[in-house]
Amino acid sequence: MLRTMLAAVAALALSAGLAGAQGWTGGDDLPTNPLPCDGPAPAPEPMAYNGGEPANPPDRNGKPLTVVDVPKLIGVGYFDATSKGMQEAAAELGNMTITTDAPVEANIDDQITVIDNYITKGVDGILFAANDGVAIAPVLKKALAAGINVVGYDSNAEPDARQWFVNQAEFNGVAKTLVDKMAEEIGADGSFAIVTSTFTTPNQARWIAEMAAYQAACHPEMKWLETVEAQEDNILSFNQANTLINKYGDELKGIFGMTSIATPAAADAVTQAGQCGKIAVVGLATPNAMRPYIESDCVKSTVLWNPVDLGYAAAHVLRATADGTLKPGDTSVKAGKLGDLAVIKGSEILLGDPFVFTKDNVNDFDF
Amino acid sequence: MAAPDLHAAPDFHPKRSLAARIVSAYGQEIVIAAAIVALFVVVSTINPRFLGTNNLNTIIAGNAYIAVAAIGMSMVIITGQIDVSVGALIGVLATISGNLAVSGAPVWIAWIAPVFIGAAISGVTGALVAYGRLPSIVVTLGMLSILKGGLVSVTGGAWINHLPPAFQLAQQRWLGLPVPIWFMVALTLLAFLWMRNTAFGRSLYAIGGNPEAARAAGIPVERRIVQTFMIHGAFAGIATMIFATQLRVIQSTVPPNLELTIITASVIGGVSILGGTGTVIGSTLAAILFAAIGSAMIFVNVSAYWLRAVIGFLILVTVLVDMARRNREFRQ
Amino acid sequence: MTAKKLIRHETILALLVIVALFVLDRQSDRFFTVDNLFNQGRLMTEVGLIALIMTFVIVTGGIDLSVGSIVGMTAIVLGVFWKNLGLPLPLAILLALAVGTFAGFVNGIIITRFRVPALIATLGTLALYRGIAEGISQARSVRGYPEWFFVLGQGSVLGVPTQLWILGLVALLSAVALAYTTWGRTTYAIGSNEVAARFSGLGVDATKIAIYAASGFAAALAAVIFVSRVSTTRSDMGTGLELDAITAVVLGGTSIFGGRGTVVGTILGLILIQALKNGLSLAGVKSDGTVVLIGAVLILTILVSNLFHRDANR
Repeated sequence: MLRTMLAAVAALALSAGLAGAQGWTGGDDLPTNPLPCDGPAPAPEPMAYNGGEPANPPDRNGKPLTVVDVPKLIGVGYFDATSKGMQEAAAELGNMTITTDAPVEANIDDQITVIDNYITKGVDGILFAANDGVAIAPVLKKALAAGINVVGYDSNAEPDARQWFVNQAEFNGVAKTLVDKMAEEIGADGSFAIVTSTFTTPNQARWIAEMAAYQAACHPEMKWLETVEAQEDNILSFNQANTLINKYGDELKGIFGMTSIATPAAADAVTQAGQCGKIAVVGLATPNAMRPYIESDCVKSTVLWNPVDLGYAAAHVLRATADGTLKPGDTSVKAGKLGDLAVIKGSEILLGDPFVFTKDNVNDFDF
Repeated sequence: MAAPDLHAAPDFHPKRSLAARIVSAYGQEIVIAAAIVALFVVVSTINPRFLGTNNLNTIIAGNAYIAVAAIGMSMVIITGQIDVSVGALIGVLATISGNLAVSGAPVWIAWIAPVFIGAAISGVTGALVAYGRLPSIVVTLGMLSILKGGLVSVTGGAWINHLPPAFQLAQQRWLGLPVPIWFMVALTLLAFLWMRNTAFGRSLYAIGGNPEAARAAGIPVERRIVQTFMIHGAFAGIATMIFATQLRVIQSTVPPNLELTIITASVIGGVSILGGTGTVIGSTLAAILFAAIGSAMIFVNVSAYWLRAVIGFLILVTVLVDMARRNREFRQ
Repeated sequence: MTAKKLIRHETILALLVIVALFVLDRQSDRFFTVDNLFNQGRLMTEVGLIALIMTFVIVTGGIDLSVGSIVGMTAIVLGVFWKNLGLPLPLAILLALAVGTFAGFVNGIIITRFRVPALIATLGTLALYRGIAEGISQARSVRGYPEWFFVLGQGSVLGVPTQLWILGLVALLSAVALAYTTWGRTTYAIGSNEVAARFSGLGVDATKIAIYAASGFAAALAAVIFVSRVSTTRSDMGTGLELDAITAVVLGGTSIFGGRGTVVGTILGLILIQALKNGLSLAGVKSDGTVVLIGAVLILTILVSNLFHRDANR
């Protein structure tokens, strides 16, 4: 009986393996919205506010706020940087204290528990970056029901589970920048592969889906070879990138790294294989992680937004929401040194375009 | 495995032929070696690039740190203990090593420090197990939390870069072979011979087989357990030496699931979880087998979504084949 | 003899729980409220269900590392049966529970029929079941469950969170089963000396298979409740849950070598961990500090309990 079962599993795995060869692996199944190949993005259609509202919040205008920031996890450079930006904003505003607390692993259940504890403890505001936008929704709605101001950043939740979401850069904008950079480096008919964290990480899955749509529309001659998972593990990312290089040989012209862990590891694999200049590495990564590879000219650029600014903007948005200066229907919000930020898609605040770090500016940043 | 004269492990039955004795004594190692050969033959007929020198380097050198850590883990398991905190320990040691290298300490100190610190931390674990009479899974579950939470508190996950080029031990080659491979092969052979031919080494098997009998035979069981954990910590330190010097950046976090990978390599490699039997050759072969399976799946285009199912399935098959062999032998 | 009985591990643990609750209560006036306690019960239900049955597994001298993966696999199966195959949700729930139980049953078969040590067998199925979850789901999550389904994970019955009734029922059943039934006595006998149990004519294999199947069922039940609580299905659900469950069981005094342990101890272990996670957070300790403290508490509790035991044994 066991033998039959094992055989069934093997057959299933094999058939799925053969069936899996179409389409880009690693994207999600949500609708995509690729930007035009050239020229500016069309002005988005204005949307009515679709965020949530806290129930009977006390008057917080100008009053000191106690805020908790719950990123996906603590102990990684990226969220250390967002937290730094929030502290900067809090120091500037002078009337809010922000504590960053989150699980030590990016685990949806642990993140829910942390938020739940702070609701019980009683805070004025919650800043969050969701490990899963749907799974986190019930606990955020509970926070809204308790009269707490809720603002997301980095990774969104269901719109009605929070008031505003500070969007670091639109998915289709990031996808366009990445694919255009790759096309520029490997030519219009180059072949490339992707190293990502896991297929279930929402932002990464979204970017890959948008990249597939944009590539099909604007760089139809480019060839996607495959996507490999490498968890949040830098040596595994390094090994996976090496395996891609070994498997495709000269056919492989470029590697996309989808995380701050995968991109430097892929760059290191290319460096150690002596393929700098032959295999391009384009990806999302913080400048600190990519500095050695950009300085050695193996990688021309890395794409990201400024996570310090993202945290800074999120703190300002929360303050404005609590003060009542940012209301449903507004089209922009003042965010300190960043100036006016635009409201898009009803209840999102756009930080700006993705930023490209190159050899010329990489040393100006420390995150 | 009770009486001291049976310490010699693996034990031989003198009446059978040499081949039969080897098969019986090293059955698991042979099964895994055969699995590796079969995998290489099958995959390379589908895609010859699998056997390329670079790919063999990726598979073996890229995973040598797992094999090295599995040597120490095997010793711990052979004495009937376990350590689920080893992944967190390696994360902590890598952070220490990287920070030492960046702070301008001589490179060899940055390499060696993890070995001693690893031995010290694991020594504490071992003392709690041996003298505190705590089950090792309890102590190491606790240590896992302490090391992981402590690392996050202290570093915040900062990237360590600007590592001196001389620090990159794992990227160097000696006589054309990557350093990690030298480390893995030399340490595996040394540990194997040491465990087989020295009184100390054999006492580990005796303790794992039956601690009371070992005590009766005059083996200082508690002291040996602490020493075994210290050796294991030192191996974790050597694994760190390869792990931390593989790339030009280090992220000060705990590598996910590393402890599971290391324990799996040890136990699938034939180290009995009940203690008393197994060799480090088996655990090293198993580490290579898993790395090769992961790579092979990419080479034969198994859907990435099904990759882990196939790996899990192959692990089970290896275990079941080995169990069938043992059961048959047991009946003979 | 009486002294020995008094300072059993469970007594020490119960005292520790009381001290912890008292101290944590002094730190925050929001800790000891009905709302918060019920809410904590909600949050610990999944790990609780798994830990209760894990007690049986560990008492037999075994271990089940695959429970976290079974949670992921059954969650995915639930979603796929309901959404992709269009089955009615109640039927999909039943099928998911059946799949989880079958996964546990397979563990039991591998362990008893093929004599594979439990740790190795469930290490293998840990990878296999998680892999099947990933393969079936193709990394897609299933959402949009009907409103009535959320009663299970987010609603209340008679003022008490729905899942707490389930947890309470399972706790009661397993406490009675382990302490007062022949089945429970067989479980202890297997853990104390499996060979002797076999020679005494006890149904060793049947009991072990039943226990692993029950462990799979508990994981599947936890998965259904978890899906209802978070209103979505993902293949990475339950990752690492096995270590949380094992921590609660060993903190509860169950010997990892088998033969010794009680359901009451496990419940105390669960309460202590949850109280620390919640109370320390309310007292202003951050997650990384809490993780460190729970690790230290685990080691120290068992250490202290061992010291008392040795004195009592003399």
